[in-house]
Amino acid sequence: MLPSETITQLKRIIGKEGVLTTKEDLNAYSYDATSVWTHMPEAVVLPTTTEQVAGVLKLANEKMIPVTPRGGGTSLSGGPIPIKGGIVLCTTRMNKILEINKDNLSATVETGLVLQDFNNALSKEGLFYPPDPQSFLSCTLGGMVAENAGGPHCVKYGVTKQYVLGLKVVLASGYVMKVGSKTVKNRTGYELVSLFTGSEGTLGVITEITLRLLPLPPARKTIVVIFDDMVVAAAAVTNILSSGVIPAKLEIADNFLIRRIEEIMPVGLPVEAKALLLIQTDGSPATVEADSKQISSILKRSGAKEVRVAKDEAEADGYWNSRKAAQAAIYSTAPSVMVEDVTVPRDKLVEFIQKIEEISQKYGLVIPILGHIGDGNLHPNILTDIKDKENFAKAKEAMAEIFDTALTLGGVISGEHGIGLDKKPFLKKAADPLAIEIMKGIKRILDPNNILNPGKIWEEDGTT
Amino acid sequence: MVQHSVLAKAEVEFEEIRKFEADLELCTRCGFCTFWCPVYREERVESAVARGKNMMIRSLLAGNLGYSQEFADRLSKCTLCMACAANCPVSVHIPDVIVAARADTVKARGIGFPYSIIYHWLLPHRRLFGNVVRLVSFLQGIFLPKSEGTIRHLPLFLSALGRGRNIPQIAPKFLRQILPVVNRPPTGVATKLRVGYFTGCMTDFVFSELGKHVVNFLTRNGVEVVVPKEQGCCGAAVFLGAGDFETGRRLADSNLKAFEGIDYVITDCATCTSSLKDYVRFLADTPERKEAYAKFGNKVKDISEFLVDILKLPASIYQVAPEVRGKKITWHDPCHLSRHLEIKDQPRQIIKSIPGVEYIEMPDADSCCGMAGTFSIYYYELSKKIADKKIKAIFSTGADIVVSSCHGCELQLIDGMLRNKMPVKVMHLMELLR
Ligand SMILES: Cc1cc2nc3c(=O)[nH]c(=O)nc-3n(C[C@H](O)[C@H](O)[C@H](O)COP(=O)(O)OP(=O)(O)OC[C@H]3O[C@@H](n4cnc5c(N)ncnc54)[C@H](O)[C@@H]3O)c2cc1C
Ligand code: SF4
Ligand code: SF4
Repeated sequence: MLPSETITQLKRIIGKEGVLTTKEDLNAYSYDATSVWTHMPEAVVLPTTTEQVAGVLKLANEKMIPVTPRGGGTSLSGGPIPIKGGIVLCTTRMNKILEINKDNLSATVETGLVLQDFNNALSKEGLFYPPDPQSFLSCTLGGMVAENAGGPHCVKYGVTKQYVLGLKVVLASGYVMKVGSKTVKNRTGYELVSLFTGSEGTLGVITEITLRLLPLPPARKTIVVIFDDMVVAAAAVTNILSSGVIPAKLEIADNFLIRRIEEIMPVGLPVEAKALLLIQTDGSPATVEADSKQISSILKRSGAKEVRVAKDEAEADGYWNSRKAAQAAIYSTAPSVMVEDVTVPRDKLVEFIQKIEEISQKYGLVIPILGHIGDGNLHPNILTDIKDKENFAKAKEAMAEIFDTALTLGGVISGEHGIGLDKKPFLKKAADPLAIEIMKGIKRILDPNNILNPGKIWEEDGTT
Repeated sequence: MVQHSVLAKAEVEFEEIRKFEADLELCTRCGFCTFWCPVYREERVESAVARGKNMMIRSLLAGNLGYSQEFADRLSKCTLCMACAANCPVSVHIPDVIVAARADTVKARGIGFPYSIIYHWLLPHRRLFGNVVRLVSFLQGIFLPKSEGTIRHLPLFLSALGRGRNIPQIAPKFLRQILPVVNRPPTGVATKLRVGYFTGCMTDFVFSELGKHVVNFLTRNGVEVVVPKEQGCCGAAVFLGAGDFETGRRLADSNLKAFEGIDYVITDCATCTSSLKDYVRFLADTPERKEAYAKFGNKVKDISEFLVDILKLPASIYQVAPEVRGKKITWHDPCHLSRHLEIKDQPRQIIKSIPGVEYIEMPDADSCCGMAGTFSIYYYELSKKIADKKIKAIFSTGADIVVSSCHGCELQLIDGMLRNKMPVKVMHLMELLR
């Protein structure tokens, strides 16, 4: 527990309403969306302004109290878990839209704004913010920037970092710094905006975000494709991408997920199908028509069993809702689930999927696959039970082997969820030792007392 | 021996929660419920929403939390609107777990004053309750000026329920004092069906005119209506709100007895309907009760469901009440109707059949109004904030009348309209009909 004097000071900065200290409330900030990580904080603060955030960090820095930023708590890597105790700084009450600028195609928002609330406001203006993690109902823009999140749209539109123009960041000292700008181009020295994007809450607390926007595409079409074989489906994906057309979304699910979808929200998928591709095209009505035709014919030539084009918005929404639910629904199929987000170059997808199937057989584990296959990003979900020691050990081995495979194929161990606590042990394998040292050096400059989200990204070895 | 008694204690301690353990375990912490939860959307704090409450209850089972005052408070901060469950990707019903945890908390801690008096003592005793309400209404007539329309600020007991909210005037004569037990169709109209009418506290004490109207409408359409004098409160506030299952069972048993031998039990309040049906889910502690409650629950029908699906009245029967003619009307879905019972089309179908009125759908018609009985007692400020969103949505339609069929919602909407000085009238679905 923090000394009562510190609590009093926190209350002075934030107000009584914004400081939580009861066991019951702390318990509610001890987890994220992973099934294995939990740790109790000693206090939770819910600031409403940048000044309050600065006040908290200044105090914490003086007293060397760990501060773990938290947005929607949907992380899949243990990122917002206060593994060293201390303060959880939760941004959910900083959720205002400060500006939607139609003429500059930009928006400035507070960090705790929920993505779907942002999307709802944008669509009224005919505007579009493409990055779409499938947690859009609960993740915050700040959490997305801190994780550099992506989603189905990223095959065509890129990930969060491609949209962040400027940030307001509170550093560990309490200093409030603006980086970037409101302009689409900016060549003012090093790209500090990119440094904070994907920093997983370890370098500063983001309080305001300026984002680049696009006009909302006027037309969309959804294509549902059924395959007898995951590998054939993966090959079809490569065929589409190399044919000169880039769909807006290109997702894959295997038989396990198809059955799960039909269980939780039936959309009429054949439950015996081995693979499902869910594709969306967007743009002008003519482009959508032409792209959909081209994609459909490539799919048929690539061995698709069935190609179905959604008749209307409602049917299409059904498919995409089930896609959203599928990720969440995997967790309820086993006591513990290891959700991976390995990513490989897209010409290596066929090999990668074959390899995952082999690993699943070798260890006798169920590893359903779902993912943003269009950008090479797959979610093999290893079903296990943390209480079953033997099974859990096997699952960990399988996970390590999947990582090794991805790395051998020139891929990465995390495409979007971040390293957090989950993948710490694998960082050494995945990055150049000097690169890790540089990361630690940057951390030391920005947060010399190591108060910001300590215990994440790399394993502590005494040098931090 | 020691081992055994510890185990026995733990089982009793979590007796009700254990029944919903599957739901408890299924939650994947995706947080989607934060988007739909009316309480979370105001408070933006994790303990307000299904995910946080679920994790709290898990920690209770794991021995990391106990039945503290704080625990009880966090549990009561939920309207049981079911928005979380309806939108949950794995269909977890956390509200059920919350009700069960309220019950185990009550067993461990008891209920706090003054609610203990109300729930334990007054609500189960219809006559006594009626007398207290009568006394209050008498005092109110003497000491308080009449406020706008039919609304008065009630002192004493009811103000404990409302904490200063605007509450409608108590009816000069309670429904049960007006209506005979058996109400037959008028001469010349053949009797098609015989039903029981569960009036609920609000129709009985406050909206007695509505009650008479419902009976008239049914009898004119060939339904014999029995209004047993022995019926009591549905128990929503008692077992769902406060978690007092023991008193809940007393209410349930006496209601079952009151309606023995009757094929359908009709109610005009969504909360009553769904609570009567919920007896089996929460209160069935023996195989006998389970069977009896299930059978009873199946007999219970919401009035709109009864008219549309069972009586199958032709659209032409729905004639407009004179004061409603030419008005613009919007419908508010009570949570207990739309999500608890999945009744959404029937009331709309009725309104749309009425000639001479214009129907306008409001945005988010099924979002919770924030009343939820007990909830609004403990958290009136929060409840008002939730209501104000609803009021705004209603106002955006330009409707003259907002219609619902849950007396809790009606109270909340009346209060909201008055506080916001809005001219929109709040009515019950059946009041639209001649
Ligand atoms: C069902 C489901 C589906 C998902 N699908 C996807 C997907 O398709 N693509 C994807 O990329 N991810 C996905 N995720 C993972 C997760 O939703 C994203 O990582 C998301 O960006 C996290 O946002 P959040 O607001 O919940 O952040 P949190 O989980 O609260 O925090 C994440 C990290 O960001 C840090 N952080 C949060 N706010 C700030 C801030 N203001 N300043 C500094 N640091 C901060 C935290 O310390 C933590 O390290 C999914 C998760 C779930 C549960
Ligand atoms: S209750 Fe449902 S929506 Fe809420 S966190 Fe759990 S699984 Fe997700
Ligand atoms: S029932 Fe309603 S108020 Fe309660 S947790 Fe679910 S969404 Fe929130």
